[in-house]
Amino acid sequence: MSTDHPIKPSQDLVTANRIEDSTSAATDRFVFTPPIDIFETADGLVLRADLPGVSLDSLELQIQDNRLTLFGRVETLLPEDAVAVHREFEVGDFLRSFILSDEVDYDRITARLSHGVLEVELPRAAQAEPRRIQVNAE
Amino acid sequence: MAVFRLGQSWDPLRDLEREVDRLLQGVNLTFHGVRTGRQYPAVNLHESANEYILTSELPSTAPEDLDLTIANGVLTMSGHRHDEGEIPEDRFRRQERPRGPWKRSLPLPERIQEDELSADFHNGVLVVRLPKAPQEEPRQIPITSD
Repeated sequence: MSTDHPIKPSQDLVTANRIEDSTSAATDRFVFTPPIDIFETADGLVLRADLPGVSLDSLELQIQDNRLTLFGRVETLLPEDAVAVHREFEVGDFLRSFILSDEVDYDRITARLSHGVLEVELPRAAQAEPRRIQVNAE
Repeated sequence: MAVFRLGQSWDPLRDLEREVDRLLQGVNLTFHGVRTGRQYPAVNLHESANEYILTSELPSTAPEDLDLTIANGVLTMSGHRHDEGEIPEDRFRRQERPRGPWKRSLPLPERIQEDELSADFHNGVLVVRLPKAPQEEPRQIPITSD
């Protein structure tokens, strides 16, 4: 029996720290947890994440064991001589990871990116067929 | 940083916000837009030698969903955040992304060539370029005496 939550955010902080350690040269960059939506469809689940500024080339989406990790690197759009005169948001990279349950068919996961939104389709794995067990009489 | 002519000129919470920002910078990890009461969308303004550059993160917004107007030194942006297809509320397991219509007016810096303004989208980031107007020559004012 699978759990009630086939996909759940893992300990983002732990993951973030680990990645940060492995790339200690770039520790002055911000790492943000992007907001996400998860909803059910007839075929499974769909995950959408806001990743403004992330291009197809700078997005990494990977599954290791049962952990789905997205990491988007944001490149600056500003010329080098530009000086901030009013700032309401910081620019940084996006990182978030999720634990997938067996309810998801890992091999059929697809993703696309448009207008700064990543959409990941997580199809439901086919239910195991009920198996009849032959009972033999003595 | 009084680049914007209007807007919140006095805000006692600003300093506290800055302090929180500073603390969060130390952690190097923060939720995007976790603070409430902020105007949507957040904007940054940068200045280079010959132009101002306004940037704003507007994911899930197609160019046709965005309206930009400029009048009397005020830039008004309005748009609608929505995704393809309507998803019934009870289908959601998690809902963190903002949605719906929004509108924001920004007083622009002085000396902008309003008719030269250009805007484009890069992966959900809006970039508005505001070329500076050429500096006017100082004008001598004649003084007459009787």
